[in-house]
Amino acid sequence: MTEIKVGLATCGISAGGELVFDELEKEIKKHDLQIELKKTGCLGMCYEEVLVEVVQNGSSWLYAQVTPDKAKKIIENHILENHPVDAWILADNGSFRDNSFFDKQKRIVLRNCGVIDPGSIDEYISQGGYKAIQKVLKDYSPDDVIDVITKSGLRGRGGAGFPTGLKWEIANRSKGSKKYIICNADEGDPGAFMDRSVLEGDPHSVLEGMMISGYTIGANEAYIYIRAEYPMAVRTLITALTNCEEKGYLGENIFGSDFSFNIKIKEGAGAFVCGEETALIASIEGKRGSPRIRPPFPARKGLWDYPTNINNVETFANVPWIILNGYEKYASLGTEKSKGTKVFALAGKVVHTGLVEVPMGVTINEIVFNIGGGIKNNKEFKAVQMGGPSGGCIPASMGDLIIDYDEITKTGAIMGSGGMIVLDETTCMVDVAKFFLNFTQNESCGKCTFCRIGTKRMLEILERITAGEGKENDIEQLEDLANKIKISSLCGLGQTAPNPVLTTIKYFREEYEAHIKEKRCPAHSCVALIDYKIDTDKCTGCMLCLKKCPVDAISGKPKEPHTIHSETCIKCGICYDVCKFDAVIIN
Amino acid sequence: MKKIRITINGRTVITAEGKTILEAVNENKIDTIPTLCHDERIEPYGSCFLCVVEIEGLNKLVPACSTPVKEGLVIVTNNEKIQSVRKTALELLLSNHYADCIAPCIDNCPAGVDVHEYIALAYAGKFTEAIRLIKETNPFPLSLGRICVRNCEIACRRNSVDEPVAINAVKRWLADEDNNHLWTPDIKKPNHKKIAIIGGGPSGLTCAYYLTLEGYSATIFEKFPELGGMLKYGIPEYRLPKKILDTEIKWMTDLGIDVKTGMELGKDFSIDDLKNKGYKSVFLAVGAHKATSLMLDKEDEVEGIIKGIDFLREKQNNKMPKLKGIVIVVGGGNTAVDCARTSLRWGADKVIIVYRRSIKEMPAHPDEVEAAEKEGVEIQFLTNPVSIIEKGGRLTGVECIKMRLEKADPGKRPRPVPIPDSEFIINCDFLIAAIGQQVNTSFIGKDKDCKLEKWGTIVVDQDTLQTSIPGVFAGGDVVTGPLTAITSIAHGKIAAYCIDEYVRTGIVKKKNEKFLSFKHKLGEISQYEFDHIKKVGKEKMPELPLSKRKNNFEEVELGFSENQLMLETKRCMECGCSEFYDCTLRKLADNFNIDISQYSGETRKYKIDDRHPFIVLDSNKCINCGRCVRTCSEILKVSAIGFLYRGFRTIVKPAMEKALLQTNCISCGNCIDTCPTGAMAEKFPFKPLGQYKKENYESICNFCSIGCRINYKVIRDNYFFVSNSTTSIRNSHNNGYLCVKGRFGHRYLLDGNRIIKPVIRKNGIRKDTGIEEAIDYTAEKVNRIIKQYGPGSIAVFGSPKLSNEELYLLQKFTRVGLKSNNISSFTNLFRDSELNCLDESLGITVSTTTMDDLSGADIILAVNANLTDDNMIMELKIKAAQKKGAAFIYVNSSELNPARFSDLWVDSKKGTNTVLLNGILKEIIENDGLSFGSKIKNFPELKKMVSAYNAEIVSTLTGLPRERYNQLVDMVKNPASNIIFIYNIDSRREKSFNDLKAIGNFLLLTNRINKKHNGIIILRDYSNSTGLLDMGVTPEYLPGYVTFHEIQRIRSIGKEWGVNMEEIFKPVNIAERIIRNQIKAILIFGEDPLAIPDNIKYFDDLDFLMVQDMFNTETAKKADVVLPASAYIGQDGTYTSCDRRVQEATRVFNDKGTLENWRIITNLAKKIGGNFNYDSNLDIFNEIRKINRCYTDVEPNDFWGSDFSGQSTVSQNREAGFAIYDTDIVTYNAGNETILYSENYYRSKIKKKIT
Repeated sequence: MTEIKVGLATCGISAGGELVFDELEKEIKKHDLQIELKKTGCLGMCYEEVLVEVVQNGSSWLYAQVTPDKAKKIIENHILENHPVDAWILADNGSFRDNSFFDKQKRIVLRNCGVIDPGSIDEYISQGGYKAIQKVLKDYSPDDVIDVITKSGLRGRGGAGFPTGLKWEIANRSKGSKKYIICNADEGDPGAFMDRSVLEGDPHSVLEGMMISGYTIGANEAYIYIRAEYPMAVRTLITALTNCEEKGYLGENIFGSDFSFNIKIKEGAGAFVCGEETALIASIEGKRGSPRIRPPFPARKGLWDYPTNINNVETFANVPWIILNGYEKYASLGTEKSKGTKVFALAGKVVHTGLVEVPMGVTINEIVFNIGGGIKNNKEFKAVQMGGPSGGCIPASMGDLIIDYDEITKTGAIMGSGGMIVLDETTCMVDVAKFFLNFTQNESCGKCTFCRIGTKRMLEILERITAGEGKENDIEQLEDLANKIKISSLCGLGQTAPNPVLTTIKYFREEYEAHIKEKRCPAHSCVALIDYKIDTDKCTGCMLCLKKCPVDAISGKPKEPHTIHSETCIKCGICYDVCKFDAVIIN
Repeated sequence: MKKIRITINGRTVITAEGKTILEAVNENKIDTIPTLCHDERIEPYGSCFLCVVEIEGLNKLVPACSTPVKEGLVIVTNNEKIQSVRKTALELLLSNHYADCIAPCIDNCPAGVDVHEYIALAYAGKFTEAIRLIKETNPFPLSLGRICVRNCEIACRRNSVDEPVAINAVKRWLADEDNNHLWTPDIKKPNHKKIAIIGGGPSGLTCAYYLTLEGYSATIFEKFPELGGMLKYGIPEYRLPKKILDTEIKWMTDLGIDVKTGMELGKDFSIDDLKNKGYKSVFLAVGAHKATSLMLDKEDEVEGIIKGIDFLREKQNNKMPKLKGIVIVVGGGNTAVDCARTSLRWGADKVIIVYRRSIKEMPAHPDEVEAAEKEGVEIQFLTNPVSIIEKGGRLTGVECIKMRLEKADPGKRPRPVPIPDSEFIINCDFLIAAIGQQVNTSFIGKDKDCKLEKWGTIVVDQDTLQTSIPGVFAGGDVVTGPLTAITSIAHGKIAAYCIDEYVRTGIVKKKNEKFLSFKHKLGEISQYEFDHIKKVGKEKMPELPLSKRKNNFEEVELGFSENQLMLETKRCMECGCSEFYDCTLRKLADNFNIDISQYSGETRKYKIDDRHPFIVLDSNKCINCGRCVRTCSEILKVSAIGFLYRGFRTIVKPAMEKALLQTNCISCGNCIDTCPTGAMAEKFPFKPLGQYKKENYESICNFCSIGCRINYKVIRDNYFFVSNSTTSIRNSHNNGYLCVKGRFGHRYLLDGNRIIKPVIRKNGIRKDTGIEEAIDYTAEKVNRIIKQYGPGSIAVFGSPKLSNEELYLLQKFTRVGLKSNNISSFTNLFRDSELNCLDESLGITVSTTTMDDLSGADIILAVNANLTDDNMIMELKIKAAQKKGAAFIYVNSSELNPARFSDLWVDSKKGTNTVLLNGILKEIIENDGLSFGSKIKNFPELKKMVSAYNAEIVSTLTGLPRERYNQLVDMVKNPASNIIFIYNIDSRREKSFNDLKAIGNFLLLTNRINKKHNGIIILRDYSNSTGLLDMGVTPEYLPGYVTFHEIQRIRSIGKEWGVNMEEIFKPVNIAERIIRNQIKAILIFGEDPLAIPDNIKYFDDLDFLMVQDMFNTETAKKADVVLPASAYIGQDGTYTSCDRRVQEATRVFNDKGTLENWRIITNLAKKIGGNFNYDSNLDIFNEIRKINRCYTDVEPNDFWGSDFSGQSTVSQNREAGFAIYDTDIVTYNAGNETILYSENYYRSKIKKKIT
């Protein structure tokens, strides 16, 4: 029996996965082949999508960057003529020809992603799925589970890193006629897509984690709060829930125990602040998604005032693995205080963009250079931005820093939910700070004075700095406001919103000063502070830039050096990008 | 609650778990923590971050309002870090608070005259108040009203619409009006401290005026023969008639200012001399009277050349010979224009102004320039004299040169430069050089310590005006150089303040300035704000015709008419904030010394939403504290408003940005009171007076029987609004919350229809008369009718909104004076109410429990009560009880609002509630042992009466599904549950005849009458419906519910009153007597039965009708005598709420000069007979306590019958038993027309607008 699997998570689809799938289907039909065509999730190598795996007689071949044409060829050469197309193959029988991407990884959360068909509960079961919950129901008391999770050292993967075992214990000890489990799938950091990939690639592992949590704290009802912008993840989840209900894995007395459990999906409108526990709860309750002061924490007074345990997707996905493999094995990974693995969405100016899962304790350099394959276009590595809008920038000089909650927090950034954006020398750090602050400013729920107006005023200062209108005292005012916002906001959004600004000031103060005092952007990125010019020695007069200029700001004759007229130029940078001779220079 | 120990600012305190840090701090009075978003009546929120405090061991600050205390917490409530964060929070909020604290006209006036307020007062016809207000900052309205440069009009926001409000013309009108009977200010007791003021111009006079008011002896030393300074010697007669100026000066000096004219400093005396003579302080205000020279050759030698200011002064002193021929005036300022226009009037044939710049740069007021041109003055711009042409020492012409303007530096006027070879000659007979004045400080000769600027003006501290000599101050032109009269006046006022400080304390300090926010400080003012305002041009100032101006000095501007005044004041757009004094944000900004420009950036700007008839939503002022949102959702459960958008754009608005009235807003206005700024404000029926001082008067609401505490904010006599935002009122039984009636209903007192003078109508002719005459006439009529037809021929009616004292007097007057039992109220007479329905079972028909008790109820059952419309605050009390765990059952056939928040809605058919209650009684009798109930009288009859009402029959008759009926029965049958019934006697929408009797039976049967947290609250529609019966304003009862059977009681009351009460107090059917024409005269106090035209049948054949009312009602229009009534807020009195709470209402203001009602009633009664000698309201109340057994022990604001026990205390002579009745399923079908002016006003003018 031959199987062909197409990577059809959101990354696969955006790379053209559906066209590839259709082509394969067409070809299989045309040749009347006995091939089972399957969809699978994201393997993490988003930069190699569309990925197609051919499984035949116990062997497998993984093709990369497949297009419909290539797909046709794969059917013709590989299937019909039994000649695998060697040039396109990424891995044979699971072993990658260039294993640098996976070398440093350890896949626990992503164990099934890109491997199984997320729409099939049986495939999940075939990988040992739903064994953990059965084991728990049969052999473990709630306290036993708490013990295992506590000893595993698992910490909340949503960002703050609160010990999961302790959180469950508090919820377990809280009194309430009813309790709730909530899975926070409101992943909102720009550039982060870990949770989406897990939900799209392996939804059952999350459901199983929730069941175990429910049993542990004594909850019979659960919600998955997921943003409506993840339609595919929602569809996958609905299928998974339906399959579970059909099999009796959800509902009354599951797996023959006296434990009953039900899960509902609540789609959120994509408000970033709803990733905050209390705002998320308010949103499920049908109220405006605004945080409230804690204490009382949700573990004591949560959804509709009942004790509620909230974990994010990645946290839940870890749980079945820990139960099945034992806490010792999990705790053997990582550092003293950060155990296990962490999934990162690697993005930015790095060669291998995608989803990676690394054991805690690897260094930033290892992620950027070994797994990530280094910086694109031979530019210089400048910094990584970690933790999204709540996080900060860690400079290249600190590349040997290890992935560990506390180590990262010391830098001013945070582990966060796992966004990691690699920045190179062409990135302006003031601009980076502005980008993230603009995001938090727009996403603030507007409740607290400092978050609502303070971040706006900070943003305005950054805007004037990048516009070349910075004032003497701006950095000090930024720092003052930032520190006040951090200590005077109700929820994590406000408390961390200044981090991107503070870390960039901390590590790249001279860049701010260059903008303010010299009206210069060292990264040549801030439009207001740069001018495009033509290096007459290098210009060949090819006319390309002249033709591409959208505002006719370039004049010149063929084979003679051109001129850019700065009064008309809108600094869009197209000339710079199209010039083949590096003749366009930025002043 | 568990006690815990915490440390606050180093002090260990014991508090209880569950409290917030703020509560712990407040209850121990440790600190006053500022907050904007906190309102103790709603759940803590924590958003403004003003209340932040530090907790040891925590690296962030926490909001004290919403952080719970924990054992061992170590808290610091004030340190540098905390203060800095609080200040920044305020600065951030204010950086996005696009609002004017006060109108820009006030801010732009150098003297800070409260323009906005005096215009509002003028518009309201309160002219004396307006002039008083003006004179608080400017004692020269008569003069300045004519000649002020009007910076206020420049700042007027109306410039963005059409033209500025003619502010100065308004001021002039007010001053001219005041001139007829000059208002005199109060002067403090003389302190015999002498102050010397050098110079009797506007600055010196102002200083002397304000010092005199403070009790000082001010002496003005003036060089010239008369006071007035530049007003007298610089401004020509046709602009400011000297008679007017002299009147104003005399008004000031008459207050006791000592004036010494012809005394020149430096010549006749020195500053040291003054000090030696005991003057405590000196104010130098000698002005700038020295003309600037043209610097032309022979300028001072040639005949025919005059200096401008000298010309004007000599003209005033009658020493200026007449001019002739052509007169050239050099200069572009006001003096130049004054000289030109004076010349025209003083013989010149032609006048030419020569000015070196263009019209744009001309410093003279444009209106003056325009007037001069109209009168024929020619102006040659860009022209400058260069030499004088003379013949034999006599001027014949001037050589001038053309000028051009160079590009100006920013903020400066362009520099004129001569154009070479453009010289030309103008022939003329006179040349007046009016290019400016200078300060002459030669007097300083003897006082060398007084420092001068290099251009000659005196150096002063800008804030205090103190010179370099301690205790010597200077102001006006001598400091500023020639400037404006209003600046001089401002200086005079500042100097008076600082001199007072200096003399009293020895310290010179400026007056504290209040924090003020202004829109123009937060960026551009957008034109769209004004788009919706209708363009209405300003009123034209009537002027002397041009033909009449030549050769005379009559005043040119004639002043507005009163009609013009009204039109012009109406144009005022009321900038500035009505919440000026109540704005917490502004107060805190003051305390924290906020710099509004600290964080500049984008400011959110919104259109003001004034679509609601009574509530204005100005989102520009909103600080997102959410108090209104939370009050609306948590307390009212209405949620008409909420937060919209995210981030910086987040704002409070009605849902979907609809108009408030399109949401489910109930217009209660409680959002206004909780708003810490002016974002939620009242739309007043008058122009709001922001800065004007208002006084708070707490009293009782006079609408329904809940008896809410209410705070009237009084602007001036009978000019007020309701504002329940004070702390004490928030702690009242209604927590300061009000319904729409309480909030906006009292506006009827501002209605123009008030009766102020008594009226007698004889032979169809109305005549205003005096109160004594009207009372005499009434007494005479009444006495005559009694003589003719007997005492039973007179009937007296009182309104259920009168006070207990008034009602008591009315019935006493009827019974003792008229010797009749014809006492009632039309309100009860028309409504065939169940006023005695509980007498049979409980012995008395009153509430057996109180609203305070609701919080302890398990079940609250409302029957026949439209709470939302009639008694909304009861609804809030129920919602609060629900929060504490009570279940609320609402019995009503249609889904009125209470059904929506009820825990069980029983929608039995109209008219079937007796059936429903019978069913419940049957269930209880059958299922319980009832050792108590079965021993009560009529038990077998009761059992028999309800035996037929099994669940099936009840369900069929009421239309209630069996399941819901069973649910109801289950809820009410548990004997251990605390059950309180709520029943509105006055409401007739859902009534069947014996509902109340059935409820009485239930309470009696289940022993719930004397049990705490059990019983019935009988709601009434009007504020003193309960007191009306308590006082015996009914033929059924004497005061204290004494019935006809209680002979002993009747006798003893008769003895107290000095009459044989047994003869008088007899059953009577008043309605029948009227219809049968046995009543010949009716005296009505506060009711308007003819509001319902059909009632005319009661009045057809009357010989005499007297009405006392506040308003000219339909009934008053028919009356033979109309007596003016005092408004309830114009007098003291007690009122008894539906749950027997006797509350004191206090006088808020003197009401339109009318007598208090109790005086009118006693005066009338005295004329007819009986002991009616009272000195005060309290006298009457004390008599009530003596006569009325229910009130014997009651203290004001207490419940009567606080140890209430139905049968035992009240009806000892009767045995209570179950009421037996015929169960009917016929619905009441009576309308609910009202015969009270206030209610009809509410319905037609308030309710209609919001539904």
